[in-house]
Amino acid sequence: MKTKSKIIISIIICFAVLIFGVGMGSVYVHPTEIINILGNKLFSVPLSENISKTSISIVWNLRLPRALLAFIVGGALAVSGSVMQSVLKNPLASSFTLGVSSGACLGAGLVIVTGFQIAFLGIFTLPFVGLLCGMLTVILAVKFASRMDKNMENNTIILVGMVFSLFINAFLTLLTAMSKDSIEQLTLWQMGSFALKEWSNVFVLLPIVLVGVLVLMRYSRELDIMTFGEDQAFTMGVDVQKAKWIFLGLSAALTGSAISFVGVIGFIDLIAPHVVRKIFGSSHKIVIPMSLFFGGAFMVICDLIARTIVSPSELPVGAITALVGAPFFVYVYFNKRKEK
Amino acid sequence: MLTLKNVYAGYDGNDVLSNISLTVQENENLCILGPNGCGKTTLIKTISGLIPCKGSITIDGNNINSMKRHEIASKVAVMSQMSSIYFSYTVFDAVLLGRYIYMKNNAFSGPSYEDREFAEHCIDAVGLSKLKYKQINTLSGGQLQRVYLARTLAQDPKIILLDEPTNHLDLKHQVELIDYLKEWSKVDGHSVIGVLHDINLAVRLADDILFLNEGETQAYGKADDIISSKLLKQVYGMDVVSFMTDSLRKWESYNVEPSIIPKVKLRKIK
Repeated sequence: MKTKSKIIISIIICFAVLIFGVGMGSVYVHPTEIINILGNKLFSVPLSENISKTSISIVWNLRLPRALLAFIVGGALAVSGSVMQSVLKNPLASSFTLGVSSGACLGAGLVIVTGFQIAFLGIFTLPFVGLLCGMLTVILAVKFASRMDKNMENNTIILVGMVFSLFINAFLTLLTAMSKDSIEQLTLWQMGSFALKEWSNVFVLLPIVLVGVLVLMRYSRELDIMTFGEDQAFTMGVDVQKAKWIFLGLSAALTGSAISFVGVIGFIDLIAPHVVRKIFGSSHKIVIPMSLFFGGAFMVICDLIARTIVSPSELPVGAITALVGAPFFVYVYFNKRKEK
Repeated sequence: MLTLKNVYAGYDGNDVLSNISLTVQENENLCILGPNGCGKTTLIKTISGLIPCKGSITIDGNNINSMKRHEIASKVAVMSQMSSIYFSYTVFDAVLLGRYIYMKNNAFSGPSYEDREFAEHCIDAVGLSKLKYKQINTLSGGQLQRVYLARTLAQDPKIILLDEPTNHLDLKHQVELIDYLKEWSKVDGHSVIGVLHDINLAVRLADDILFLNEGETQAYGKADDIISSKLLKQVYGMDVVSFMTDSLRKWESYNVEPSIIPKVKLRKIK
């Protein structure tokens, strides 16, 4: 099958998954009703008479913002993972490797424990501080790596990132141990959840992710060339140092902003890019946008499972992605070893 | 075309190369020979701009320190030994990446017709037309090295720097590659500067030879003028000529008839 056909079919399937995710739950809403409600809200299309006000409220106020947020978060994590894997030339690498999640967790933990709030940010203080700390961790890790190794070899970056991660996790453990009142809230945040998310979250996160993805797509050729080695990329005319900072910074920003809103959710950044490369090949002009769609759709499915499998209770979505992701991680690792 | 004057270069402030001077004219090839660790690869990296240096390196009269990255890349391309493939591309996509410096200003639009056509010519030139849409991780070592050669040609450089590109290749593919590069260097003011471990391949390709020893020039000039038993012994610490003649005698004792090596089958870029 031609790549264009594969792309069109995949995008249609991803949107179908999104609609399916909105429709499923304690109250089932038929896809045609969902499309009708969307048409009405966005383009003032007349509503069918048999659509109840409850359905409209469930779709528009509860499930659609939640599913869209899941889609955007999953997409952001997957794009970030695909870029990290290519820059570090390691199919198992991700922003988490560089300590984004640890930094974001510590930042969010401090906000939860101290109750600190920035007046003009209100409820967005937690995601803002989380993002800030996540980014700060990556910047410090990369700066430190560049000090230790002027060429910023990938192994140095990965090792430094892991050391920073463990070091910050130690602070988080101390913080958790010392603030017993907030243990539950801290633990739940670290497991990730889309519960009670509103349109405001979507409106804040969407532009960040779109800009990040577009800039990364602008540099997709540089990313392609860098997978053949940084020395080779340099001699082919790529400004490797600048490109590396852009890729690491934007990947960290995508992951940091995504998890700051919903908590730590792992493995999407590993699974989605791997599947995308299997289907579409490695060219990043396709891998980046398709990772956005696949990661988004996968997250919607995981969130659907999380909120329906033990209904009316809800599981942390991070647990669902980990249940699927951990065996997948092992599969990728051993498959790579077998290939060698 | 390329001139090095009193070049010093190395890593972390320690010079590996000392006082290297050389000139490579258009349509001339230079091979750099010497024992392991003598600074051959460092010299290739220095010429390509990967390692900063003291002294001066000029290409067509322009100092590389004052040239932008893409300007150097439009003049000098590097073909290294095969590296691991982490993510696979089709042969065409991999070769098209060689056109990067010509495509970098239109990042969102696809490659131009001219760039695609040039990449096609390069693939055709190395005889890989039938494998154009194959994934490179499914190719043999010889085919993969041809892909890298096509990508290097797609960069449309004046000078190709070789860093032991024949490693991991069988004899047939080694000779084919060297002969193709020799043909390539005969036209349009092209030149090849190569690090090769095999002296036989080096003299097959080179007009001039630079012998390095511990980062310094041991001998430099036309192959016919400088190669001697004494020099080879000094550089390699062994009697290379005796080894070669011994091997030749052995071959003469086998039941084999020498014949002319067939002319390289690869085609020139249109």
